Formats: sequence, C-alpha cells, structure tokens
Amino acid sequence: MSITLRLRTAPGLRLDLRGVLPSVLAALDVSAIEKLPLGLGRETVPLAEFFDVQRQGDEARLVLQGDLSRCDRIGWQMAGGSLLVEGAVGDWLAAGMTEGLVQVHGSARDLAGCEMVGGELQVDGDVGDFAASAQPGSMDGMRGGVFNVRGSVGQRFADRMRRGTVFVHGDAGDFFASRLVAGTIAIAGRIGAHPGYGMRRGSLVFVGPAPALPDTTVAAIVGTPVIWQLLARSLQRRGGAFSGLAQRAVRRHLGDLAVGGRGEWLLTN
Amino acid sequence: MIHDGLIRNGVVIDDTFAEAFPMKATRILITAHNMTWARHAAVSATGFATSVIACGCEAGIERELSPDETPDGRPGIAILLFAMSGKELAKQIERRMGQCVLTCPTTAMYAGIAEGEAVALGRNLRFFGDGWQISKLIDGVRYWRVPVMDGEFVAQETTAITKAVGGGNLLLLARDTDSALAAAEAAVSAMRRGPNVVMPFPGGVVRSGSKVGSKYPALMASTNEAFCPTLYGIAPKTQLTAETACVMEIVIDGLTEADVSTAMRAGLDAGIALGAASGLLRISAGNYGGKLGPFHFHLHQLMGVAS
Repeated sequence: MSITLRLRTAPGLRLDLRGVLPSVLAALDVSAIEKLPLGLGRETVPLAEFFDVQRQGDEARLVLQGDLSRCDRIGWQMAGGSLLVEGAVGDWLAAGMTEGLVQVHGSARDLAGCEMVGGELQVDGDVGDFAASAQPGSMDGMRGGVFNVRGSVGQRFADRMRRGTVFVHGDAGDFFASRLVAGTIAIAGRIGAHPGYGMRRGSLVFVGPAPALPDTTVAAIVGTPVIWQLLARSLQRRGGAFSGLAQRAVRRHLGDLAVGGRGEWLLTN
Repeated sequence: MIHDGLIRNGVVIDDTFAEAFPMKATRILITAHNMTWARHAAVSATGFATSVIACGCEAGIERELSPDETPDGRPGIAILLFAMSGKELAKQIERRMGQCVLTCPTTAMYAGIAEGEAVALGRNLRFFGDGWQISKLIDGVRYWRVPVMDGEFVAQETTAITKAVGGGNLLLLARDTDSALAAAEAAVSAMRRGPNVVMPFPGGVVRSGSKVGSKYPALMASTNEAFCPTLYGIAPKTQLTAETACVMEIVIDGLTEADVSTAMRAGLDAGIALGAASGLLRISAGNYGGKLGPFHFHLHQLMGVAS
C-alpha cells in the first residue's frame, strides 16, 4: 500500500523527518501516522501539522510531495522499502541508509547519502556539499550501496568514502573524492580544484572531459583490461554518458602518491 | 554371469545399472588473452584429477566459452570439479587455482555457479599480492586484483559449491582394441556435447575399471577381474565371452542425476550407431549391488525399455 505525505506549507524552521520511513509507516494507520512526532527547531510537532496523509493503491512505498527543501533527514537510516520524494529535499538525505530505494525528483542539500551503507539512492537534480561523505567527526564516509546523481555535486563529494558505487552525471565541486579510502566513483562532467586530494585507494572513472591530473599522480605503464571490462560493463548499464564504456580505451593513473598512491584514475577521453 | 540383453544394431545392451554416488561440485570459468592460454590453464588445473581415490577430486573441461559468454569478454573455458565433501573440494580449488591458474599467463577466473555454499576462490590467493592486492566490489560481487608480472590477476572472491552426482559409467565390450577405442571415443565425443558433465579420465576413458576393495588390506580399490580379458578362463567369475578381447569404461560426473542420465544415453546412442559391425559387442555398466550409492542408472530404462 502506498502512503503519501503531502507538505501543506513550508516550515519556518528546519523540519526533521527522521523516523518517517516506509517500514515504520506501513505498520501504522492514518491517525497514528498523523501523530508521529517531528522535530521543528527545538520543538516537537505532530506530523499532521505540516502534512496531509493519504493511503492508496497496492504499491508498498512512501511518497513525499511538495517542496521539502527545509526538511532534513529524509530516509535517515532507512533499512528497507521504497521512498519517493516528488520535490527538493534538505540536508542528510538517506544518510546512514542500509537497504531499500530512495528516489528524489528534485535536488538535495548537503550531506546526501553520507555514511550510506547499502541500498540505492537516486537524485534527479543536484546535491550539495559533502554528499557520500562522513558525518562531522566520523572516520568513514559512504560504506556501501549505489548513489546515482543525475545533476551536479558540490564540494568535498565522497570525502572519506570507503565502499560502494557512485555515479555523477553532471559536474563536481572542489576536493572531489578527497581522502577517498576505497569504492568506485564514475563522473561524466567536469571537476573542481584538488580532486583526489589525499586519496588512498579506490577508483575514479572519468567518462567526460579528462581532468587536470595533480602532480601527486603517476601514469601506469600497463593497463588493467580485465578489471576494466568488469567495471565498465557494470557502469555502462546506467546509460547516458556511461553508455558504451566497455568499448572505450582507458588510461590509468595512480595516486595520491602522498598517501601511498594505490588509488586509480581511469580516464576514457 | 552375462546379463540378459536388449539388442540394438547388433549391440547387446545389458540389463544392468550404473551405480553413482553423491558428490560436491563447482564450476569455474577461466578466461585468458586467447583460447590457447585459457586452455593451458584449464588443462593444468584439471590435471591429475581422474579419481577421488587418490587425486582428491575429479575434474575436467566442460566446454569452451566464446568471448560473449564470459564476464570479461575474453575467450574462456568452463571446468567442473567434483569431490566427496565440500571441505575437500574447497582445498582442491585453492590448490589447483593457485598453482595452475594464478600462475598461467593472462588468466582470470570467476565462479561458474551462483547458487550454493560459497567457498574461497580468490579470497585466500589474494595474499600472494603481499599487500599490493586490491579488492573491487562490482554489482555485489567482490573481485581480487593481484599484481603479477604480466599485469594483474583477477579472481572472483568465492565460488559456489553444489550437490552433484559422481560415478555414472558405461562399459564398452569390444572385439579388439581398435574397436573398443573407436566406440569409447565416439561415446565420449557425444557426451561432451551436453552441459554439466565431465568425463574425468584420460580422454574420458578408463581401462582400469575397479572393484571396491582388494585382497591387500591397504588398497581401497583393485582391478575388476570379471571384466579383464586376460583373466578369462582363469578368474573364478567373468562377465566376458570368449570373443570379447577389450573393455573400456567411461566414467561420468554431473551436476545432477538428469545430467548424468542424458550423458549416458548419448554414449549409448553413439555406441549403437557404430553397431556390432564396428566390433562393439556389448554395452554394460558397473555397480556394486546397490551398496555404493543411491543413484542407479538402469541401461534399459535409459533406452526407454522397462526392465
């Protein structure tokens, strides 16, 4: 059964939607959903103060409608089910998600997908800074799952990311993949200053314009065609700019040499 | 005693059955820069794997794979390995893949079976990388990338082991060596056209058919004198007639009972097609009175005739 929450008016303060999850709401009737407590600044308010609640259809998912750019922690630590947002969202989108699917037909602000562990996060628009990264004070960023951004991403994207696969169809800001520990990031657009700063391992795949390579990278003297075929065949299933990747020649650079140089830059143009 | 026979194209099909037993199996896909090197690795990895009696496992090449059938788009070979337990199979996989595939130029290896208990494929071999190895998780499957002198060796972390059937067999009784070999070669060739089976002996054929036990307590198997033409007339029991001068056996291991049945039927058909004029006199099968294993392949049933 599909549960739809329609935002009536934009909240004056940041509205915290942690706990508003498909699995939680599926077990509640409409009146119980309307009473769910939401954080509004320093206060707690019932969900019905901002949302109209509707149950319909047989599809088991949660749909959020409206401009939710002042709503934070949507899909926070989600552990299963399907969540669709028809509009923009605020900070911490799907942060700590372990399983399930989150789709956003709009843009997200900062820290989207941060410390995500599993599942899939799709954002049709742009995402802000520190997406797929670590929460402040935390050692590891995104740790698993798939994060697909159809727009552009802000600064410090995938900072300290450790596992998982990320697609960026647009551009990226400064310090792209900084302090990357591992994982795979494929990007179609341009990137800002200091990409791969302090990157220890992991794979950066550039399917669009080749970036300016930092001095702390070194060109590999041989290719790795086997793993490239395995990776490219997987990435190209996303379509768009990633189509036909397996047929492309690839150049490989290694870095960041300042921290061991075991990361790889795969350049296809 | 000679079994009552069903006669097809002059060849007697004995009213008997092959007795097979449960095994554990896996399929591994080996790819390489070209088919030559994939074959070198596959032949090496499945070498000395004719019988679990002393080899630890039974293994063979299932078939060649075209580039569009392999995970990395290179030519490859599918091999099947069978052992009496999952633990022994895991040990054999690690040894054989480590010594025969990791070492072979340009190769990579992948699990050829998805469902079943996962055992290490590249999981432990990665330590050959001495810390330079890289893990890559693609679509939920972990691969290990081990730096080697021709680039990098890529191995899927695990393969799956599944229940299987070992010991299906046919005995081809012929007038002379030439006709026995011709019948055996035709039967093996026909069996290899089907999936999910290997014939682990040299060329798919074994001339030293065995019985369980021996007069020597240390031996768990010994020659099956009832099918030895050199012992005709002196052995207390024989399954041969005076005109049978050569017997060859084909042993079949398969992933399922149906796979073994299909292969045995293909072998029977190939022998029958040659006919008695080729020198093939009878087709029989080896069993141990039903005490060895739960899978019984009755030749007449395989031919569609109720026994």
